[in-house]
Amino acid sequence: MNALRRGVRNAFRNAMRSVGVVVILAVAIALSISMLIARDAVNAKISSVRSSTGNTISVSPAGFFGGQGGGTALTTAQITGLLSIPNVTAVQAQLSERLTSTQTNLTSPTTAGSLGARFGGGFGGGGTPTTSALSIRVIGTNSPGNSLVGGANGGGTEKLTSGVAFSPTSTADVAIVGTTLATKNNLKVGSTFTAWGKTITVVGLYDAGSTFADSDALMPLATVQTLAAATNQVTGATVVVNNLNNVSGAATAITKKLGTAADVTSTQATVESQLAPLNTVKTISTYTLFGAVIGAALILLLSMLMIVRERRREIGVLKALGATNRSVVSQFIAESTTFTVLGAAVGFIGGILVSSPITSALVSAESGSSSSPGGFVRGAGGGFGGGGSGFTPPSGAVTAGRFRFGGLSNTFSQLHTSVSWSTLIFALVAAIVIAALGSSVASATITRIRPAEVLRSE
Amino acid sequence: MLNVEKLSKTFKTEGGEVHAVRDVTFHAADGEVVAIIGASGSGKSTLLSLLGLLDAPDAGSIEMNGTQLANLDSGGRTKYRAREVGFVFQAFNLIPNLSAKENIKLALEFSNWPKNDRDARADAMLAMVGLDANKASRRPNKLSGGEQQRVAIARAFAAQPQLILADEPTGSLDKATGQKIVQLLREAANTQKTTVLVVTHDEKIANQADRRLEIEDGALTEIA
Ligand SMILES: Nc1ncnc2c1ncn2[C@@H]1O[C@H](COP(=O)(O)OP(=O)(O)O)[C@@H](O)[C@H]1O
Ligand SMILES: [Mg+2]
Repeated sequence: MNALRRGVRNAFRNAMRSVGVVVILAVAIALSISMLIARDAVNAKISSVRSSTGNTISVSPAGFFGGQGGGTALTTAQITGLLSIPNVTAVQAQLSERLTSTQTNLTSPTTAGSLGARFGGGFGGGGTPTTSALSIRVIGTNSPGNSLVGGANGGGTEKLTSGVAFSPTSTADVAIVGTTLATKNNLKVGSTFTAWGKTITVVGLYDAGSTFADSDALMPLATVQTLAAATNQVTGATVVVNNLNNVSGAATAITKKLGTAADVTSTQATVESQLAPLNTVKTISTYTLFGAVIGAALILLLSMLMIVRERRREIGVLKALGATNRSVVSQFIAESTTFTVLGAAVGFIGGILVSSPITSALVSAESGSSSSPGGFVRGAGGGFGGGGSGFTPPSGAVTAGRFRFGGLSNTFSQLHTSVSWSTLIFALVAAIVIAALGSSVASATITRIRPAEVLRSE
Repeated sequence: MLNVEKLSKTFKTEGGEVHAVRDVTFHAADGEVVAIIGASGSGKSTLLSLLGLLDAPDAGSIEMNGTQLANLDSGGRTKYRAREVGFVFQAFNLIPNLSAKENIKLALEFSNWPKNDRDARADAMLAMVGLDANKASRRPNKLSGGEQQRVAIARAFAAQPQLILADEPTGSLDKATGQKIVQLLREAANTQKTTVLVVTHDEKIANQADRRLEIEDGALTEIA
């Protein structure tokens, strides 16, 4: 029987104490494992949310908040100037206008309903209060291609269902019309309608999958600027950045460039504010993780110290019999390692079992306190809604709202836990660290015990 | 042959210096049983701890069959303790969670006794001290005091040391058992040709030794 086997055997010498030490170690290790798993789950979710967010930045005139109107339009020059900012690959400018029933022969597919009747035209001040004829939104854009994949219209998923898109620099009196609006007014590719006294030719139809978004008409930016007597005016822009990591830098540069004239919102910023509670969970779990490992090491350290004190005489006897310090120390390390391995085995299984409830408890506790930024998110997303219409919410707000509420609940429902190899390796490393730290002080004490002590007055 | 010359050990305590062992000089032949008697605190245990290399002397030399023990480094001292010295204590000092036989094998392990002979050697030692297989498998707390001391003697002699140091080995035993233990030490010393130093303050025990030394205030004198 060698020192290691003696050590393992000694671990079971005092059954009550052994069970106590192993249980406490197991609880600490279970806690650290579940924190690690929670961290992994949160980390995975954070990076998946980050990578799913767009690499775009919204620019709107300062104080221009959705349906509430307000603010002074930006100029084309201001917007095109943004192209000179590093990492900016494209700038999609929009001019959002409203066609009232006197300015067009089109009929809005939207009926106001009782709420619309109550609030119709109440916002923005530009609309005519009416219960029957709602205005139609026209979006002038210099990037119809991008609009059709979700740019200008606030992030929808528009698809060109027929016809073609106009060119970015077009000045023609043409439009791509949402399918809902087209159906309501019997428009096809080649049809015409009037707007601001001009005859506009429909060159394409799009489907964005939402009645609101499909009730709009997209026209060349220059055309809308001319017809709506809004020369050089822009009500919003979407700036495309080459890389997710450069979004916040570009947003800062845009803010610096436009000063107080514009509100600059990156989807990333809104996402980051949504991720804040997740980051808090991550921080909590990191501290708890290290706290638990250190706590476990401390428990083992004190237990081993107690055991060494108790067996001081026995250690002296071993040394008197000719045991080397090394052999006695390794015997005690084997003993503390036995405690750790048992604690780790029980704790690992326990940690995996409790990690799921702990993760969801941590996350739901945190999500409750995260509702405050909601208003900001909605306000920012609503930037492109025109003024004056009734209850019809700006499609940007709808999208942002859906992202916020749907997105956040997704964030938490998709937080599933998994045990990775790195978790296993961590458990092993943690156990080794705990055993090493736990044995260190005991080892030093063992080395200092003088064998002559065994001959002292018994 | 053990030659001890002018061995001294002083402890510094709060109450001043304690000369526990002063200028001790004596010789002991192989197989000889030497009794050391003296009052409590006279330095008996300190002398044994110096001879067993549990502690280092301040001055003097210990020579064992031609080897100067004072010159050994810490590794050499550990090896000497494992192979050339056997201890028998008043409190037996068996390892409580090891059986009698395992306690004996512990000494064989530390002395690096050939692995495949340890079992047979332990059995032989148990037979020498008169313990059967049943007793051999028991833990110390299931043995009487006399039996525990027999195991301790078997453990001390197991690695065939040149020197046995017994510090009041009968101190925890009744008179009759104590006599038997000393008898056992004498026989073992004889058969194994081992020098045995027995510390005692029992005159009757001391009288069984080949020679008697008296220690008083750290100084050793031969009793004729
Ligand atoms: N480690 C020590 N530190 C201080 N004093 C000691 C130490 N060991 C022994 N002594 C002192 O040395 C003297 C001799 O002690 P010891 O050898 O144990 O005597 P004995 O075994 O004869 O009773 C005593 O006065 C004791 O207090
Ligand atoms: Mg003593």
